[in-house]
Amino acid sequence: MISKKKRTPQLAVIGGGPAGLGAALAASKAGIDDIVMIERDIELGGILPQCIHDGFGSKVFKEVLTGPQYAQRYIDEIARTNVEVLLNTMVLELASNRTITAVNSAEGMITIEPKAVVLAMGCRERSRHQVFIPGYRPAGVITAGAAQRDINIEGLMPGRKIVILGSGDIGLIMARRFTLEGAQVEGVYEIMDHPGGLPRNIVQCCYDYDIPLLLSHTVTFIHGKKRVEGVTVAHVDADLKAVKDTECFIDCDTLVLSVGLIPENEISKHAGVTLDPVTAGPIVDERMETTVDGIFACGNVVNVFDLVDYVTRTSEVAGRGAAEYVLAGRKREAPVRVLPGRNVKYVVPQFVSDLGRDIDFYFRVEHPERAVTARVLAGTSPVKSKKHKMVHPPEMLTATATAADIAEAAKAEGRQVDSLLVEVVDSGK
Amino acid sequence: MGGSVKEAAPLPESAGVVIIGAGISGCSIAREVVKYTDDVVILDKETDVADETTKANNAEVHSGIGEKTGTLKQKLNVRGNRLYDEFVEGLGIELKRQGLLIVITPRTLPTSITRWLPKRVVRYVLERVVPRLIMRNGRKKGIPGQTVLTRQEIFDREPHVTRNAIAGVFDPTYGLVSPYKLAMALAENAIQNGARLFLETEVTGIKVEGGAVVSVVTNRGEIRAPIVVNAAGVFADKVADMAGAGGFEIHPRKGASLLFDRDITADYVHSSVAEFRMFHKGHSKGGGAMPTAEGNLQLGPTAIETGDRYDTSISAEEIEEIFDRFYYLLPDFPRSAIISAFSGIRAPTLDEDFIIEPSARTKGFVNVAGIQSPGLAAAPAIAEMVIGILHGLGVPDTRREDFDPVRPAPPRFTELTDEERDSLIEKDPDFGHIICRCETVTEAEVVNAIHGPIPAKNMDMVKRRTRVGMGRCQGGFCGFRCAEIIARERGIPITEVTKDGAGSWVFADETKHLLAEGDAGEAGQ
Repeated sequence: MISKKKRTPQLAVIGGGPAGLGAALAASKAGIDDIVMIERDIELGGILPQCIHDGFGSKVFKEVLTGPQYAQRYIDEIARTNVEVLLNTMVLELASNRTITAVNSAEGMITIEPKAVVLAMGCRERSRHQVFIPGYRPAGVITAGAAQRDINIEGLMPGRKIVILGSGDIGLIMARRFTLEGAQVEGVYEIMDHPGGLPRNIVQCCYDYDIPLLLSHTVTFIHGKKRVEGVTVAHVDADLKAVKDTECFIDCDTLVLSVGLIPENEISKHAGVTLDPVTAGPIVDERMETTVDGIFACGNVVNVFDLVDYVTRTSEVAGRGAAEYVLAGRKREAPVRVLPGRNVKYVVPQFVSDLGRDIDFYFRVEHPERAVTARVLAGTSPVKSKKHKMVHPPEMLTATATAADIAEAAKAEGRQVDSLLVEVVDSGK
Repeated sequence: MGGSVKEAAPLPESAGVVIIGAGISGCSIAREVVKYTDDVVILDKETDVADETTKANNAEVHSGIGEKTGTLKQKLNVRGNRLYDEFVEGLGIELKRQGLLIVITPRTLPTSITRWLPKRVVRYVLERVVPRLIMRNGRKKGIPGQTVLTRQEIFDREPHVTRNAIAGVFDPTYGLVSPYKLAMALAENAIQNGARLFLETEVTGIKVEGGAVVSVVTNRGEIRAPIVVNAAGVFADKVADMAGAGGFEIHPRKGASLLFDRDITADYVHSSVAEFRMFHKGHSKGGGAMPTAEGNLQLGPTAIETGDRYDTSISAEEIEEIFDRFYYLLPDFPRSAIISAFSGIRAPTLDEDFIIEPSARTKGFVNVAGIQSPGLAAAPAIAEMVIGILHGLGVPDTRREDFDPVRPAPPRFTELTDEERDSLIEKDPDFGHIICRCETVTEAEVVNAIHGPIPAKNMDMVKRRTRVGMGRCQGGFCGFRCAEIIARERGIPITEVTKDGAGSWVFADETKHLLAEGDAGEAGQ
């Protein structure tokens, strides 16, 4: 009985959100037809079905779509391939030899032994205690994504009088969503001195609805023993410490948290994949292959992207890379490191195995800056550069270096390229 | 027999023994009493057993070395620790005797002493004398098996301990047990053997006639009983006063602890680790770093006097205090892996000892009060002492032949082999449906908890029975699913599901209803 359930596909994709969908589709297009996609939820699409606002697809489709629309395009395409989709199926373990143990109601314990794996588990929200909010532990403290799901999928209101902590995109979008549903949003409080979400969301979700957005503020206490009865908020100083005499009580029944997302890498860790302490995701090369041969990763499991379009792009790279690995096999050469330089917090990929290809770089700045140039260097020779009027930490910057760009830089350098540097510098220089 | 807690079941008119309070003490006593009679009623004002002090307890089965010689709690702690394996047998509860490593550091002696002494002398005292003092203290208190560890031996066992460690003593009898799971298992086994549990039943008065207790009055009616055991924890003084059997005062003392992500901390420490500090102020034993039964690292607890018996809040200062304390002992501990912080209220009396005695003024009334740490460790001995008292008051002293000590523990998916999982799923496909991703809890486990011997009626009750929502996402993914299953299984609208009883609503309403309210308001203007 157990042996009948063993599958030995060419590729297994863990996760059926935008990253998994994109990877499976790209792998299928690249000539693999034996693919299993494993999704723990009851439907494909990951978080997209609950993102009923628009703003998805501007880069990939050159259109503005809602989350469900964006997801459906891929779900429809997947339906036209031979990809086997296992819904309601939870991966319990991934071994370093790529053996997957999963479970569902219909088949019980499932063993999958694929030739390659794509990790596409996405991310989860930070919870209350990860940001140390003191006080009681009543009902009514909820993460923004969970609130979004309650309202948009389940048709339930998590509260009537809302305070939002954190100005990440989901928090901003939920400020608008709660307002449209007739709830009272008392304000969005952000501990940093700059917003966590994209500028367009601040305008469209807060300003357009007269919802106050208070920077350099945080919640210092949650009141209420059974249900939230209010929160204390305070101004924070330059060290992000609450200033006591600025504390004030706000009457509310719900505290919505939008305090960051963390890539979900529990499965990756067990498989021996090395994680980048800065991104909290796997270290990957230009094909999105992790440090374990044959295990690829893409989307928010690698680092939390601001746009789903980038999730899709990395997933296509991972899907094609996995297909190539399965069909052609390959040995990775000595890796070339990709280093973050001035005002760059991190870069994905973290290393390059093959300089003879086009490489997409994704990176974020550490602090906001005006009139800058983002550039990729090989040694001291520029590979690629782009000017920006303004850069913000929430916004992902990208650069694509073609094989020709790199070869040219290597030539100018007069020696073999042993590392690449990505930096953001004053445009005047 | 084999009953369960019926919702809104009427209180019986009378019972042989009424136990007030379903915390660890009340449940331990109940299970002891049912070995002799099934005429036992347990009352608790909360929605669940173990719903106050017990659920926030740090799970430590202390050896007894930290308690003052000559106190009742010291005696019962050592005895309780010794009885523990036998106590949990048949309950399906894991007692992990992973031991306690007591670490001696330069902070062990206060600077008020060390500053008068040459460095070499201090070092000698810390390295040679203090371990021997601890050992001798342990021997005097009847604690077996302690060993002295050198600095190197400490690092071999626990590589994360501060390099400032000088010497240590390992106490192998110390263990950990989940306090609320144990209380629940004890209550379930008592119920299985005929005891009756009434939750959300608050004692409002106790009638005494002719110097003897006659009945207990509650918000749900009155029960006549010749014997009443007061195991009311933080409220034991109030309950004792109702029976004219008081004369002591509980002064609530808060303890806060932090819990860390199992995946990051599973092998962080192997035994509990505590820093030994002599003449250090504070009432708790100073707390420690503990690997819980589930593998989460736990740091704490604090000890803060509070006037409020319901004050389970945590302040920023308390969190910082815990961090400050453990940065020294475990300099590299993974601060960012924190997943939860919780606090509970201890119930000490002013003289800081247990009060376990039949009231001299009110016949039939037994106080089990002032039970604070090491109350969990002492629980088996407390139960043993109380049954002795109850035999004296007329509870039969011959053991029931039909007493069944084995509580059928519901299956936990994570603890099974793949073959066992497969056969369970074949019988009940819900065992293949994972609800809680972080803790790998299946739908069947949630359903079992809702229909268990003490039915889980709200989200916290499900959480305590199954671990749903206890993991790193803290219910972000599974919260709705859990509420949905509770609503379905209990046949109630999802908007009536609560976190932990009346007032702790989870959903305000369905969508669009608030808009309708708004429209109606505008139309009326």
